[in-house]
Amino acid sequence: MTPSVEVQGYVLALDRGYEPETHVWALVVAPDRVRLGMDPLGVETAGALAQLALVPLGTEVRRGEPVGSIEAEKFVGPLTAPLSGTVIAHNAAAVADPGLVHRDPLGDGWLLELAPSDLDAERALLVEGAEQVPPWFEHKLTEYRLKGVLAE
Amino acid sequence: MPAPDTLRVLDFGRADALRSQTLWHAVAYGVSAGAPPTLSFVRPAEPYVCIGYHRRLDEVDVDACRVRGLPVLRRMVGGGPVYLDDGQMFFQIALPVSAVVPNRARALRALLAPAVQAFRSVGVPAELDADLELVVGDQKVCGHGAGQIENAVVVVGNLIERFDHDAAAATLRVPRPEARAELVRLMRRYVAATPADPQAFREAATDAYATAFGLRAARGRLSTLEAERLVELDRRFQDPVWVRGPERPAPDVWQAKVRAGVWVLAAEHRGASVVAGVARGRIEHVSVTDAELNGDAARVEQALVGQRLDDAPAVLGDFGPPGERVAAVLARADASRL
Repeated sequence: MTPSVEVQGYVLALDRGYEPETHVWALVVAPDRVRLGMDPLGVETAGALAQLALVPLGTEVRRGEPVGSIEAEKFVGPLTAPLSGTVIAHNAAAVADPGLVHRDPLGDGWLLELAPSDLDAERALLVEGAEQVPPWFEHKLTEYRLKGVLAE
Repeated sequence: MPAPDTLRVLDFGRADALRSQTLWHAVAYGVSAGAPPTLSFVRPAEPYVCIGYHRRLDEVDVDACRVRGLPVLRRMVGGGPVYLDDGQMFFQIALPVSAVVPNRARALRALLAPAVQAFRSVGVPAELDADLELVVGDQKVCGHGAGQIENAVVVVGNLIERFDHDAAAATLRVPRPEARAELVRLMRRYVAATPADPQAFREAATDAYATAFGLRAARGRLSTLEAERLVELDRRFQDPVWVRGPERPAPDVWQAKVRAGVWVLAAEHRGASVVAGVARGRIEHVSVTDAELNGDAARVEQALVGQRLDDAPAVLGDFGPPGERVAAVLARADASRL
């Protein structure tokens, strides 16, 4: 059972790190393998995904660079890497059915896997654990609500 | 250097097919690099086909386009393949990403609202409907798309002064003549031109966007950086690899969208063949063939028209195995990818 926390109705897994601005999570699934996906706020603000495209396997990306793109409401936007590394796997099910990302963003709706190149240093830039995740997410929810980004 | 409270306005006039796309993409790169928010206008001098960033090139009948001399270009914003010609004037609003709310639906609503005002100012009673389509009644009167290009967000749309529905349908790869006929029928029904004075529209849009963002409109020109990006974009957009686009999974059902909530599907399943036009979840028109229907095809079609797609299996329950096959085709339809 994955440890998790609920923040104002949003469930967040506590076994992974969250990029605080781009709303992409990173889960270490093996020492040389990190899985990436969108967090619930990223999914909600994107809207119903119609398209998902990922950079080819073998692509080296640096933290902050695009690892793919999504399209919702005819609006194309980048998916940004929270960590540097080489793309080693795609979630073919999510590419074929981007709605999966919306339905299960923390589980089966993962996006891709990276072989990280600087995990120790860059992991510190992510929000992780029961002490950090809830206050960060509360803060983002408040910020988004004040900006009218989320429905009350 | 424009003042920080400036809405830069660029009117590119008429441009060839390539430049009618690359000019405003170059502007988006400029805004990303620090140019002021920019409203631009351009009218294509020639007809062409433009496909959305993620879409499969084989949605377009590339051979038919080649025969007709129509260039096929891929844009960096969303949506499907569209036929564009000099009966349309494009507008584009480009802003720094930091100025746009990080909620796509809300961002689009905010960035299209001034366009709605501009349409109304020139006598077109347009509205932005719940599907984020710019409509008069239930007819789409403006195509739009959006994208984030580096650190800029750009939303594009068009004033459709004339629209050739047949020419538009002819540019799409369609599996069967019945599907093309249904596509044309739905286009005529749900896509309308709104002849209006383009100069008046440009002025109204400029006023509306400047007011909406609290900016002062000022005519401008391309920066050196934008001119350099334009040359690079000209090359990129003509590169066959770019035009081919990203690898995308092949759909198992042919579908084409006419406007949000209105689409055509055509598919086969074990000898049953279906072409259907769907509007707001209901089947408007359907053509069915199955060797075992033994003359009952017309009854099946009659039973399906007006029904919700979700209800098709129940409606087809009285038609035995052929009905099950037709239901199986309809069950594979998925408008969420359009």
